[in-house]
Amino acid sequence: MLRILGRDTSSNVQKVLWAAGELGLEFEREDIGGKFGGNDTPEYLALNPNGYVPTLIDGDYTLWESNAIVRYLAATHGAGTLWPEDARIRGGAERWMDWQIATLSPTMVTVFRGLVRTPPEDRDMARIAAARDRTARLFAMLDAALAGSDFVAGRDFTMGDIPVGIAAYRWYHLDIEREDFRNLERWYRRLAERPAYREHIMKPLA
Amino acid sequence: MLRILGRATSSNVQKVVWLCEEVGIPYEREDIGGPFGGNDRPEYLALNPNGRVPTLIDGDFVIWESNACVQYLASGHAAGSWYPDDLQARARAVQWMDWSLGSLAPTHVPAFQGLIRTPPAERNPDAIARSRDAWSKLMAMLDAHLADRAYIAGESITMGDMPPAVLSFRWFNLDFEREDYPNAKRWYDTIARRPAFARHVVDIGLA
Repeated sequence: MLRILGRDTSSNVQKVLWAAGELGLEFEREDIGGKFGGNDTPEYLALNPNGYVPTLIDGDYTLWESNAIVRYLAATHGAGTLWPEDARIRGGAERWMDWQIATLSPTMVTVFRGLVRTPPEDRDMARIAAARDRTARLFAMLDAALAGSDFVAGRDFTMGDIPVGIAAYRWYHLDIEREDFRNLERWYRRLAERPAYREHIMKPLA
Repeated sequence: MLRILGRATSSNVQKVVWLCEEVGIPYEREDIGGPFGGNDRPEYLALNPNGRVPTLIDGDFVIWESNACVQYLASGHAAGSWYPDDLQARARAVQWMDWSLGSLAPTHVPAFQGLIRTPPAERNPDAIARSRDAWSKLMAMLDAHLADRAYIAGESITMGDMPPAVLSFRWFNLDFEREDYPNAKRWYDTIARRPAFARHVVDIGLA
């Protein structure tokens, strides 16, 4: 059985749980990272020298980097669904996965950590507000991209929806002002109908 | 013909042109971004709302995000070589591409931009030193991974080597002290002898 190492409050672990749920894969998950610690032990670093969660163990194969794990599970178990066979559709999906890593996540993390993982008296509200504004500009981009399509890579749900779909849940559940992004909200409501999203993503922020 | 929009000094553009030359894809490249500007114009943002380089135009298909461009081109033109058919080898390549995107690239930026794209009088030596030290820890990870394999995903070169190799050119050529990472150095030197890498990365220099 697949083993997923990482606490389920991590958005990066959630990507893998959601993908596994969509694909109907059985797995065991172990709490590592955050308040559980364990991601700096020699045993963990031998599996994942980067020291973050998640790590996937599939038999004698070990893989880390959350989006790489999502791609691997999709390519292995979801060809034609999560993993688009058409190279252009797949390229569109991968583009939003990379954008989440390099652009959305480093911007949004200041808002999320500031409001969810920082005690109120320690919060730098000016910094959080500035990061919220930058995050809103990024969601405006995604909103525009979703104007003509049901999902980020087109008509169908793909692996490309997973990283940004988790960020969208956080966007709609943080205690912040939100612009009216109609396409984004329509897409988010569509994700919220999916059982695996409800099970693994739609939980209190922690 | 394939069009690549982006200046030749961008490490993200370099990955795409390097791959095109390796697998024999004809292309035209246009200077955009950095000193050339143009990446904040409405015409560019209509193609790439993220406003960075590169943007790849393949007929009526437009794609941006450099690693997504590399995977798109490699899957179409280099399946079984740069784009491994074996799903575990492919995932290993992608793992290090994502690591380059999320860890290596942002870590190296203050050191690289501080030393290369900032006049000496305006440099922040502490920020440069912190960036170099953190970058060195990541190079140690790469070095350990390469201890018992020739390339990132095994015994032959793949797309997984491209993002860390382009940034390793900077590591091995910036004017700072470096730890001795023999596996990473052997791997980098092997790649640096490839004519396409030499032309699109080494010969461009630090800029």
